[in-house]
Amino acid sequence: MITVVSGLPRSGTSLLMQMLEAGGLPLQFDGARRADVHNLRGYYEDRRVMSLAADHSWLAEADGMGLKVVSLLLYDLPSHLEYRVIFMRRDMEEILRSQDKMLADTAPEQVGADIRRHFEKHLEELAKWLPQQDHIQWMELEFRSVIEAPLEAAGRVAEFLQQELDLEAMAAVIEPSLYRQRVE
Amino acid sequence: MFGPKVKIEPALYESLKKAAQAVGCSSVDEFIINILEKAAAETERVESEEEVRKRLQGLGYIE
Repeated sequence: MITVVSGLPRSGTSLLMQMLEAGGLPLQFDGARRADVHNLRGYYEDRRVMSLAADHSWLAEADGMGLKVVSLLLYDLPSHLEYRVIFMRRDMEEILRSQDKMLADTAPEQVGADIRRHFEKHLEELAKWLPQQDHIQWMELEFRSVIEAPLEAAGRVAEFLQQELDLEAMAAVIEPSLYRQRVE
Repeated sequence: MFGPKVKIEPALYESLKKAAQAVGCSSVDEFIINILEKAAAETERVESEEEVRKRLQGLGYIE
């Protein structure tokens, strides 16, 4: 069973990876994408995930581990393996604000683009697709609830994963000061 | 219903009429509207997926 952390970019997936690491779950990532001003503690990504559709021969290595897979690439997970997907949800306005900050550095021509309805459609399609996949069990986790009640969120994650995780250590990862795009 | 009308060839209409009967649609109009709704939804899905893909590339999450 592979634990997959997924969601839209800037929905809290890296944060959840940090929590899982603190809780004692081994993680699969290559460290190629370095920590930066947008993700001060790192991205926890494995670049091979980007080409899963072409080559998933390595994926069985991640059995028993946590792996970050951005939402659109969930479709590329091969069905001969089994996954528990934790899908991060966050206020769309917060996601868009945070993405625009990143895009200013990586693709400034996309800053402010009208992407909201496309993200909403994408999430709608995924919500229909996920329950139909026999090889995927999934849960949703709200970013704000993780920030506001980290111990409770850690407990929900451990219960879903059916793993003995260090819940206190997971909760200790949370620093509300890093919640920088909050929409009231 | 008084809405926009689309002209189609009689031969195509006959073909659609037979297809509508085969799947148990109560009318050719209903059958055609179902097909067009599905096509429009699929076009929208593909368009959104492409826009999301471009955004994720811009953010460095996919190649």
